[in-house]
Amino acid sequence: MALLSFVIDRSDQIWFASWQHLSLVVQSLTLAVALSLILAFLVYNSQKLSAVANGLSAVGLTIPSFALIGLLIAPLGFGVTPSMVVVTFFAVLPILRNAVVGLSGVDKAIVESARGIGIGRIRTMLTIELPLAWPVILTGVRISAQMTMGIAAVTAYVLGPGLGSFIFSGLSRLGGANSLEAVVVGVVGVILLAFILDLFLVGIGRLTISRGIRVSN
Amino acid sequence: MIDTPRREVAASGTTGRSLIIQLAAILLALAAFAIWVATANLSSTERATLNSSALLAYTGEHLALTFVSIIIVLTITIPLGILLTRRPFVRASGTILAIANFGQAAPIIGLVVLLAFWLGFTFWTAVVALVAYAALPVLRNTMIGIQSVDAQLVEAGRGMGMSATSVLLRVELPLAVPVMLSGIRTALVLVVGSATLATFIGAGGLGLLITTGVNLFLPSVLVSGALLVALLALFIDWLGRVFEHYARPKGL
Amino acid sequence: MSATNTTQSNDQASRTILLDKVTKHYPGQLKPAVDGLMLEIPAGKIVMLVGPSGCGKTTTLKMINRLIEPTSGRIMLGDEDVTDLDGDKLRRRMGYVIQAGGLFPHMTVAANIAIVPKMLGWSKDAISKRIDELLDLVSLDPALYRDRYPKELSGGQQQRVGVARALAAEPPVLLMDEPFGAVDPITRQRLQDELIRIQEEVQKTIVFVTHDFDEAVKLGDLIVIFGEDGQIVQYDSPERILAQPANDFVADFIGAGAGLKQLTLARVRDVQLADPVTASPGEKGADVLARVQQTNHDYVVITDGRGRPISWLSRRQLSRLDTIDKSKNPDLPLVAEGSTLNDALDAMLASRLGAALVTNRSKALVGMITFDIVMKSINQLRADVQTADDESPVGTNTGSPEVSEVPND
Repeated sequence: MALLSFVIDRSDQIWFASWQHLSLVVQSLTLAVALSLILAFLVYNSQKLSAVANGLSAVGLTIPSFALIGLLIAPLGFGVTPSMVVVTFFAVLPILRNAVVGLSGVDKAIVESARGIGIGRIRTMLTIELPLAWPVILTGVRISAQMTMGIAAVTAYVLGPGLGSFIFSGLSRLGGANSLEAVVVGVVGVILLAFILDLFLVGIGRLTISRGIRVSN
Repeated sequence: MIDTPRREVAASGTTGRSLIIQLAAILLALAAFAIWVATANLSSTERATLNSSALLAYTGEHLALTFVSIIIVLTITIPLGILLTRRPFVRASGTILAIANFGQAAPIIGLVVLLAFWLGFTFWTAVVALVAYAALPVLRNTMIGIQSVDAQLVEAGRGMGMSATSVLLRVELPLAVPVMLSGIRTALVLVVGSATLATFIGAGGLGLLITTGVNLFLPSVLVSGALLVALLALFIDWLGRVFEHYARPKGL
Repeated sequence: MSATNTTQSNDQASRTILLDKVTKHYPGQLKPAVDGLMLEIPAGKIVMLVGPSGCGKTTTLKMINRLIEPTSGRIMLGDEDVTDLDGDKLRRRMGYVIQAGGLFPHMTVAANIAIVPKMLGWSKDAISKRIDELLDLVSLDPALYRDRYPKELSGGQQQRVGVARALAAEPPVLLMDEPFGAVDPITRQRLQDELIRIQEEVQKTIVFVTHDFDEAVKLGDLIVIFGEDGQIVQYDSPERILAQPANDFVADFIGAGAGLKQLTLARVRDVQLADPVTASPGEKGADVLARVQQTNHDYVVITDGRGRPISWLSRRQLSRLDTIDKSKNPDLPLVAEGSTLNDALDAMLASRLGAALVTNRSKALVGMITFDIVMKSINQLRADVQTADDESPVGTNTGSPEVSEVPND
């Protein structure tokens, strides 16, 4: 089979691209979690600011990823930088929204009881509010992960790293040798990576969500 | 993979004022763009690409892709979603949702290109890809919307002597409408954004401006394309919100 | 306790709390929520803050641990001025219990209790020992409950853990904000009894906010009644508030049945009981009857070998008996020495004999209580309250506060 021999012949290249793809998404996600948490902690206490954050997140999600990529070519050129910016931008949106929703959903009585027994402001955030909002935040991370896997594929158009390059190279060599195989490898690879990353995130949830607040044991 | 609705939460916050602000912002940006195109110092190639009739044609193609796709999505997935909540098919619903969720993980750009290899580089290929991509939110929200109708209300309807069909039409569906609407808006936004990629298989749309801008190294065309696509997406989202706002049954 | 918390030792003894002309003025509000409040909360007492909602009782409580910063005034803990102490550090020295315990759902029972000792730098062993001690204190088996999560506990159990957590670091003061508001009436009663028992053991200064006047009467050594505008209307013992409401507002607040509520304040052991005629199984019926007839009693109490009442016979029943048998009447109207007069009255009404038998801890008969005795003791209580002249605690509003005058001692 052509596909099989394509995969075997290019296994090094495929591994490398997969690794780059995963690495782009994971790095952007990590950055996005940090950014979202900082933003969410800044706004969640004010209803107005929370609404603004949610609104921006909703509007941000309507912007087509390809449009943002196009906009960024002018200032940032081609390569890793615009890819990273685009993927991080979209990764932030669902996480930010879920972080705001999760943090404002924490029972105020619990927060007050934390303050009432002398737990400081920052410590309350980190040891009480964050763990309680964490399941909702992590759901946001999973949504982001799945979404940015696909967006990362589009960033290959600006010569970003990852499996998208197989799709675009297949497209550009339309009808040429192995063009279909290249596209299939790109698509299936992204699906598999998304699946693996999601399993990994579910595992992280298992490890980090307290049994006391898990929905089902 | 993930069964949490993606944009549904945000939808609940839609208010009359935010609708006006969104529309005003879009119109303002559009006006600014028009003034810029009219006054900027553009090369002849750029001006040729950015003339108003060409822009209108691209926008028309983009809208055609969007609305043809969404209409097909609605005609397929709403009946399917209803069917999957009916007794004989309920057991299949979990499997179908799981498959749909898994399919959602496929990158849309890959889907478009792959289908083009098979179906040719045409408008309809792009439509097929978009339909496949946008079906999930509508399907899922239709099912969730109907399933989350209070079982007591259904029982009350049956108790009054209504037939299963009339309970569906007069109780279950009206109560499911808000959730279904938010799924439809999600699909609409997905489609209008993804239609940008149709340019890669020669199916037109505003994405063409971006690829042209990159291929011929015309930054102003590139930025114009990106800006117009973003504004169009925001406008479609606005339409969806308006529709959602007014189509929602009163009293819910 | 343990070697690690000896530094706390001077803190463990309960302390008097003094609010000195404390005012809280929320920005944007015309009138202060609390205005020039002067309130002394004596060491080792339970002081109840009651009043209608919005009367400033919760604000007052939260100013003690400075969850709400007072606009002006001083707060003294013992002879220490804590007004300018770091709020978090101050709160670690005060137990705080809120509705449903305010437990952290993502932490186990043990972890919840361990929080404050951990922040204070106790050793692991000391904390672990303390957790077991506290769970024992609130009647929860440590082996069973240590590693449970709050959602695996009933409402009453959560509340107990909340109290245990508040007591964890041996604070001299315990602040409770409507802690039993969210549990069912039966559990609430049990928790109240439990709190009384725990307080006998730990002797803390407890400030307790409630909107339930009956709860205030039951638990409080002293009650502060706030009026609608945040003024202290009356601050006194429950006995005196019931007997002499300061004004119509207080009288309305007490509601109907002040007399019955007074009954909940006096215990059976505090009144002069009557001595019933007693007899043992095996005695001749006629002999016993003769003994009864020498008195003005109509009944005789049969007790077993350990003095525990087993039946209560009338003259007529006696006259039909040849010898008195050992049969036990399960429906005897019994009350314990520790019961309130209210409970005793309830038992009497149920018995239809107009009296109830009083037993001690080993269930032995110590006497009999009758309607007459209850009446007499109520009258006595009222008279006591009117003649007694022991000083009422300090608690007033000075009205519009003088901003600059702050005692510097």
